[in-house]
Amino acid sequence: MRLEAVGKRYGPRAPWVVRDVSAAVPAGGLIRLEGRNGSGKSTLLKVIAGVCLPSSGRVRGRPHVGYVPERFPGGLPFSAREYLRHMARVHGLAGTPADRRVDEWLDRLGAAGYAHAPLRSLSKGMCQKVAIAQALLPGSGLLVLDEAWTGLDAAARRTLEAAAAAWAAAGGRVVFVDHDPARLAGRASERWQLDGTGRLTIVAGDHVAPPRDRQRRDGLDL
Amino acid sequence: MIALLRYETAILARSYRWLFPVITYAFLVSVGFEGQTPLAEGLDWSAAMLVPAVALLTRMIVCAEPDAARAVVGAAAGPARAHLAALASAVGAGLLLGLAGAVFEVLTSESVERGPAGGPAAKLAATLAHPAVLVAGLAVAVICVLVGSAAGTLCNPPLIRHQGMAILSTLCLVVLGLAAGVSPAAAALRYRGGPGAALPHWPGAVPAITALGLAVVTWTVAALVAARRDSRATAGG
Repeated sequence: MRLEAVGKRYGPRAPWVVRDVSAAVPAGGLIRLEGRNGSGKSTLLKVIAGVCLPSSGRVRGRPHVGYVPERFPGGLPFSAREYLRHMARVHGLAGTPADRRVDEWLDRLGAAGYAHAPLRSLSKGMCQKVAIAQALLPGSGLLVLDEAWTGLDAAARRTLEAAAAAWAAAGGRVVFVDHDPARLAGRASERWQLDGTGRLTIVAGDHVAPPRDRQRRDGLDL
Repeated sequence: MIALLRYETAILARSYRWLFPVITYAFLVSVGFEGQTPLAEGLDWSAAMLVPAVALLTRMIVCAEPDAARAVVGAAAGPARAHLAALASAVGAGLLLGLAGAVFEVLTSESVERGPAGGPAAKLAATLAHPAVLVAGLAVAVICVLVGSAAGTLCNPPLIRHQGMAILSTLCLVVLGLAAGVSPAAAALRYRGGPGAALPHWPGAVPAITALGLAVVTWTVAALVAARRDSRATAGG
């Protein structure tokens, strides 16, 4: 999968949010996207995920996509399980195996007790779990996580970290943004940095905080 | 695409957003109810009222999903396809509504057979024995569903995002769709199968093709815009 001179702006006279981004998203890649608030991280993630087309350039070879948006406010007239069953079918899964996967992910993320609760009634964290379960359903392809860890409890944060690492290890592609620099520390294959002008610099490898630091953060940040 | 259609239809059905268009349609159809009118005229009226009903249904479904949920479905299946599924679910609901309107007209209008007025069962039997009037009426209904869908598609997100502008322009296009000479719905309704009011009112090929063309063009434009633009509200970060 490749981004070729990708640019995005919200209107013909609007300023470029992201400009001239060319990069490969290799199979097995776990890519951390970095940048300050307002630097265009969410916009670039949306273009990568195919939520919207780029205003210039193109994205080639995009596989099937699971996408977790920055905020998932629920607001649909379904229970968590009904929504996920619909999404499983939209992702191309079918029948009993799809339903089993839905229950499996609800359980792993610690949301099984809320499977029958209406989405409207769920807390922010629980909604986030539903959005994450939805994105993990296809199990392969491209996984795009836009601050997906925000609002999760410690156990679910670990589950998502492990799931993202396993996704990449199984030959999938993962692109993620997270405000915590220790997120998936040492495991990112590339770091992409957006400067304030919408241009991207690619930094290979990873040299972020040691694991001990990560544990401390996860313990505190409830 | 089937999964997308099921998803969008489920949102429309479960959110009770269909309620307002359906009540509006029921009200408009009952306003036109005069008792002893020929079936062909009754069918024309109930078909015409599908234009506002389907325009409303379209607005309801394209505004039903929160941005984040739309983004998630767009990533999984493509934003253009997701938008097309939403538009199609409104058309599906409109066709059901048209069928219900037709049944109402068959049961309440003048029987297509001359002779002593029978009960609803006799009228139904007479209509099915001479189906041309009903089939012609349903053809007009399909044209009106397409025109209503085109109006609703053109005047609502993602093409017109501002709520007031969207409602105002939908209203204008609905009136235009029913009254203006160029509208295929108006043309289909104006067509009369001769001096006998009881004869089937076939809509003619030109309005049918124009309505289909309008729907295809507006759907394509809306799907392309849905894929290209994204509300800035969820941008940032």
